[in-house]
Amino acid sequence: MESLIGLFEKLLGDLGHADLAGTALPLAGAYAVCIGTLLGFITVYAMFAIWMERKVAAHMQIRYGPMETGGWHGWAQSVADALKLLFKEDIIPSGANKVMFWIAPAIVFCGVFAGFVAIPFAMGVQIADVNLGLFFIIAIASVEVVGVIMAGWASNSKYSLFGAVREAAQVVSYEVPAAVALLVPVLVVGSLRLGDFNAWQEQHGWLILHNPFAPVAALIYFIASLAGCKRAPFDLPEAESELVSGFHTEYSGMRFSFFFLEEYASMFVSSALVSTLFLGGWTLPFVNVSHMPPPVGAVVLLVKIFAMIFVQMWLRWTLPRLRVDQVMSMGYKYLLPWAFAAVVGTAIFETLGWRWLPL
Amino acid sequence: MTGIRDYFGNIASALTTTVKGMGVTVRHMGRDAITVQYPHARLPIPPSYRGIHVLEQEKCIDCRLCAKACPVDCIEIESVHHGRVLEWQKFTIDYKKCIFCEFCIPPCPKDCIHMTAEYEAATEHPDSMIEDLLTWTGLRAEDKREIEASELKKAGKPAPPMPPGGKPGGPAPGTASSFGTQTATTAAPGSAAAPGGAPQRAPAAPAAAKPAAAAAAKPAAPAAAVKPEAGGVSPTGATPPAAPAPAPAKPPSAAGDMAAKIAAMKAKLGQKPGGS
Repeated sequence: MESLIGLFEKLLGDLGHADLAGTALPLAGAYAVCIGTLLGFITVYAMFAIWMERKVAAHMQIRYGPMETGGWHGWAQSVADALKLLFKEDIIPSGANKVMFWIAPAIVFCGVFAGFVAIPFAMGVQIADVNLGLFFIIAIASVEVVGVIMAGWASNSKYSLFGAVREAAQVVSYEVPAAVALLVPVLVVGSLRLGDFNAWQEQHGWLILHNPFAPVAALIYFIASLAGCKRAPFDLPEAESELVSGFHTEYSGMRFSFFFLEEYASMFVSSALVSTLFLGGWTLPFVNVSHMPPPVGAVVLLVKIFAMIFVQMWLRWTLPRLRVDQVMSMGYKYLLPWAFAAVVGTAIFETLGWRWLPL
Repeated sequence: MTGIRDYFGNIASALTTTVKGMGVTVRHMGRDAITVQYPHARLPIPPSYRGIHVLEQEKCIDCRLCAKACPVDCIEIESVHHGRVLEWQKFTIDYKKCIFCEFCIPPCPKDCIHMTAEYEAATEHPDSMIEDLLTWTGLRAEDKREIEASELKKAGKPAPPMPPGGKPGGPAPGTASSFGTQTATTAAPGSAAAPGGAPQRAPAAPAAAKPAAAAAAKPAAPAAAVKPEAGGVSPTGATPPAAPAPAPAKPPSAAGDMAAKIAAMKAKLGQKPGGS
């Protein structure tokens, strides 16, 4: 971000408007570039992820999935779907609260979109090096729930409202074990800046192998993030067999596609968090990635993220959906106590200076 | 105590069953798809499949038993009889009504209506769902010649030799009384006529290639048409109806599964009068 601002200041100077360099113009230019890049990245990634999800689902069910559009294994299917959604009619139910109905998808998407800001993609490739990066991502991801509840309530539909209420209950419950589980790497590294996790793991090896509680914490965070992304087996807010489509039942066209985009973007963010906090981020064991050009680190991180996304898809097509009470008992009776236990255990390990790997 | 055991048992079973289930799904990922890319690849159609009908018009004698047997009255037949020669006008099946029950197939005394493996019957307009099974309408050149010959015959010499089945039992080949023998006798030459009739009924190009098949059928038509007549003259009706059934069990190799289906239907046809 800072380098981008500098770049714009230099550009203005080159154009003969050095007097404007002190104003907000370079900052606005840097913002525009960052937002444009991120939006483009998220869109392309979401299209790829949707295609990948359909392919994974199809092959797990011994069928082909999309095969026609675009030639090679239907690679353009998502592009075609996105175009179709763009050109579809935007229907607003007559009983809906129009203003809230309009802005709900935007709020939902913004919550996840802001999470991308703090992800360190590679050495120095980060839009904002927030020193509370982890906290920022967890906090900003909760905004999504507000948008979902707005969408459910504003739709003036029973299905939407049921989906929104389930979403609220589920996400609020699962944020607690997720946040507590994320305290384990924070305790070990002693920082909330996401870049510090990469630096620490570059030196000490992957955090998931650091002590016996780290894998537990990683598993708990992963399960809780599944619930946070509304992914199966926690897809109760959508629950297409019960609630039509949950909170976005009444949405169509562009606005529906924003909910779709949000689901896949939040999968990316949670996978990026798992990769960064537990699986080394853009670092590799035995190889010093930080001395290599940034694209290498970005590719390493993306490979890890897509591996995690594949596991999420794998789980989705393996497990049946949980009941509401099962979701609640899993969150409060199983994940939360074990998350606390992991934190306490890690604290003891850190105090005594123990560790698993002599790295 | 049991509560604690349940608690840890739940955790253990959740983890083990999830891992087991994920093993199942990931193993399925390595398998080849069992579906086919439909327009590019097709699954084999079983030989007993009941699809769009085809009519062997040369054999048909306009007895209309198929139309009578039809439970939904979807078969409409119109023709004019010129002595033994038929002037065909209409033989339509309304596929809006047809239930593909195959009841029209067994009554046919000449075994000339069949169901193919053709199932792509979707159309853009309901009117095009009424399909005409005829390959020609009106009188062909050979039909006219035959009518002229018979009229000449009637006017001039009353009874020329006319060896190939001139007047076998007069103008009633498909009457109810002769039905039993008819089926029994046609079954035997039917297997002999199969080489002539079968190639144009190849299941690869059933209804779509009908005009082309009709052109190919014309040379074969007299042979196919005469043979049952010749069989009708010789009173082989004395042989038990079950006897001809095993004979068509070895259909000609070129015919494919359509011929096998025809043979199976003939067997059915042969056994029916025997059983009753």
